[in-house]
Amino acid sequence: MHSLSRRLLLSVSASLVAFFGVAILVLDSSFRDVTDRSLQDLLDAQIVLLVATSDAQPDGVFAPPTRDLPSRLAIPRSGLYAEIRKSGADESPWRSPSTAGAYINFGPPLKTGEKELRFTAVNGEDVAIASRGISFEDEARVRHNLTISVAASLKPYQEQLWSYRSRLFGGFFGLAVLLLATLGGLLRWVLSPVRRLEREIHAVEEGSQPSLGEGYPRELSGVATNLNALLAGERNRMARYRNTLGNLAHSLKTPLAVMRTTLGTCAPEQANVLGAEIDRMSDIIEHQLKRAASGGALLGQAPLDVEPLVSELRTTLLKVYARKDLLLSVTAEPNAQFVGDRGDLFELLGNLLDNACKWCKSQVRVGISSDAAAEPRQRLCIVVEDDGPGITEADSTRVLERGVRIDESVPGHGLGLAMVRDTVDLYGGKLTIARSELGGARISLALPGR
Amino acid sequence: MRILVVEDEATIRESLKSRLAEAGFTVDVAQDGEEGLFAGLEYPLDVAIIDLGLPKLSGLDLIRKLRAQQKSFPILVLTARDRWQDKVEGLEAGADDYVSKPFHFEEVLARVQALMRRAGGWATPELVCGPIVLDTRKQTVTVNGAPVDLTTYEYRILEHMMLRAGEVISKAELSERLYEEDLERESNVIEVFMGRLRRKLDPDDTLKPFETLRGRGYRFAIPRSSG
Repeated sequence: MHSLSRRLLLSVSASLVAFFGVAILVLDSSFRDVTDRSLQDLLDAQIVLLVATSDAQPDGVFAPPTRDLPSRLAIPRSGLYAEIRKSGADESPWRSPSTAGAYINFGPPLKTGEKELRFTAVNGEDVAIASRGISFEDEARVRHNLTISVAASLKPYQEQLWSYRSRLFGGFFGLAVLLLATLGGLLRWVLSPVRRLEREIHAVEEGSQPSLGEGYPRELSGVATNLNALLAGERNRMARYRNTLGNLAHSLKTPLAVMRTTLGTCAPEQANVLGAEIDRMSDIIEHQLKRAASGGALLGQAPLDVEPLVSELRTTLLKVYARKDLLLSVTAEPNAQFVGDRGDLFELLGNLLDNACKWCKSQVRVGISSDAAAEPRQRLCIVVEDDGPGITEADSTRVLERGVRIDESVPGHGLGLAMVRDTVDLYGGKLTIARSELGGARISLALPGR
Repeated sequence: MRILVVEDEATIRESLKSRLAEAGFTVDVAQDGEEGLFAGLEYPLDVAIIDLGLPKLSGLDLIRKLRAQQKSFPILVLTARDRWQDKVEGLEAGADDYVSKPFHFEEVLARVQALMRRAGGWATPELVCGPIVLDTRKQTVTVNGAPVDLTTYEYRILEHMMLRAGEVISKAELSERLYEEDLERESNVIEVFMGRLRRKLDPDDTLKPFETLRGRGYRFAIPRSSG
């Protein structure tokens, strides 16, 4: 219902129906007036003709001469009938030869000067009967009151009316269809930039396009430009924010490093206490700033391939854990992509792999795949398994509990995993902790992907 | 052992200098990226410690320039930026390990000593011996194009043997490559690793990459085709 073109088409259809309806009613009633008048004229003309030609016949009946009868009155069942009746007389009235075989009730006799128009059915045929009472003075100057009636079948008029009506309806219907089709086509054409805008916004959401394209019509170009500016502004703001946090971490940690190196000159007890405090401060800086810097999903982010990133991390971790005999195997679908910030993905994978390498006996397995059937925010699957001690059920519930502060959460896998949870939440993803067939922890993430 | 320390923070620089000297190193110091580059190119160094946040020339650029000039001594990075992306970038640029600030000196010393034992693969990014290809940057091995999963130690033995393909390498030498601490290892450990490597690289026993020379050690039998 919330479609502009559907609304417009519906409202136009409704007004078309109303407009055509009124037009049809007006045209129909005026057409009927015209046919009624022409019927009336025909009946009157016949009556006048009968009055003019009729005369008293030798048998006392008033009738027109048989030779001069109009052919429609002479031919039986022609659709035009006439009767001339003398009021008060017993003799049967004159009836036109066309009435042969049809019983027509022409109605009661009328007084002189009276007129009547009736509609009735004769043998299943609709007829109109016009009657007129006249006073007739014959040659012997005797006055006779006569009632002259003419009946005409309505069939030709009705046929005419129906053919007129069907032409009227057909014409209007065709016109309406044509109008609506034209309107639909126009709407498609006029609204196509809107549809393009919708499509591009969707593409930006999905990450297949960094911003909206060019070439929108004047009414929409403002919206598109502003949206693009908003996207770019948001990206810049985020980059600046992250940079600032990075610099902040850097500028706090260097003095801490200086403090730590000068600890050697202190007395051992003081050095221990101060050393512990320095460690705590650097932990706080590291975790809180890292957490603040993780961005979550930003609109218009280009999707990035996960495989190269995992293989870079693998190399890094093999160097970091060079003292351990690690088997770190990566199985990655080459087309698995992450929609989000590169740094965030590095943190997620880095923390998971770091934990796995730290706690494993010798084996770490990473699986990257994409699940096209899942919803877009959980389309990328990352599974990290190790053969270490694993995570107990109680600990994993604590990690997954929302609102557990980082420094309260599970030791060991703790800090890293809690940060992973926070970042996964930011992206609307899913974190699952289970036991691996290797014997240790099996941590799976579902993240926005393609 | 000659070591270069590039660090702009005077206190840290001087402290590292004196403690490394105590540990027996000949120490050169530089306080910015440009000085560091000069020292790195001019002196015959065994190892370098480079801070990433340097004035004039950033630590990352310094490392890239040294590697571009074919300097292959191991490099330890000191960094206050410890997002994984920064760490990975540092190692991608050509560093071999990193230590986050604030650090304990003992940690730095241990890392430096470990690095000197494993020569970095930066001089030879790829070793090819017949169908066996070893990528020293990514630490991956393929046989006939198919990836083979090796553990750290298996990889290290293979890398050492491929670097010196054709030469006889003693068990003691291999053992030294594996363990950073000078511990006495059981003598059959190397044999176990060789057995595992043979099974992983040559399951059909057709390539026969390793030759056992009784009492003398092992030899990588496929000649190097490149690298």
